[in-house]
Amino acid sequence: MIERLSHGPASVRGLTEPFALSQQMISKHIACLVRARIVTKKKRGRESLCTLRPEAIKAVGEWATNYRRFWEESFDKLDVVVNRMKKEEVGHDKQHR
Amino acid sequence: MTNSTVDPSDRMVITRVFDAPRELVWKAWTDPKYVMQWWGPRGFTSPVCKMDFRVGGKFLCCMRAPDGQEFWNAGEYHEIVLHEKIVSSMYFSDPEGNKVEPEQYGIEHEAIEGAYDVTLFEDFGNGQTKLTFIGNEPMESAKNSGQLEGWNQILDKVAAVIAEL
Repeated sequence: MIERLSHGPASVRGLTEPFALSQQMISKHIACLVRARIVTKKKRGRESLCTLRPEAIKAVGEWATNYRRFWEESFDKLDVVVNRMKKEEVGHDKQHR
Repeated sequence: MTNSTVDPSDRMVITRVFDAPRELVWKAWTDPKYVMQWWGPRGFTSPVCKMDFRVGGKFLCCMRAPDGQEFWNAGEYHEIVLHEKIVSSMYFSDPEGNKVEPEQYGIEHEAIEGAYDVTLFEDFGNGQTKLTFIGNEPMESAKNSGQLEGWNQILDKVAAVIAEL
């Protein structure tokens, strides 16, 4: 849906057509995007026109990258810790023997 | 489709194989003494980490950026299966563990309601452990994560018993 909106604003009906989902499901999905301030929705006559907020997408993308970075780099450090722990355990075993 | 506010595409899965047995990786993950040594991205340190590691218990960890700025995260443990699985939640907090909006840290982040993190520990053979971190899981699927592994283990045991018959 975001892919479709990246080409320009679209009506709710226009967004429903490419998907095998009911308009109700699509509306629910759009409501989520509006709440997340990713999409803006404006009433125009009987139709509602949806527009993507590019700055919102950028922010979400950055957060996702940072969140991933947080875990990836924490895992890198965890690897070091685990290896150190392993060496310590081996050291302890040798002392006990 | 369940009535969930979590979009599957928002989930983040990170896996890593560690060259250490599962008990050791578990210890490094659940003992604050060790968590302080790895919590946070490269260049960050963790000066404080408190963990009340039990179901319903809370954790509070601080990470300090290279520029000195501190970020506090708190969360709660919802499910613990020894050496296998942890379901937890995490949010930005103040130093007392009270939830704060990420914007206060200058982070633009739309919190996903009802999302949990699942950490899975799997025996990878050869003394190795596969760690899987699934972020933003809705509770229903968080509960079910790792069950496949459980079943595989049961099947392995069954196969071993059968082999001895």
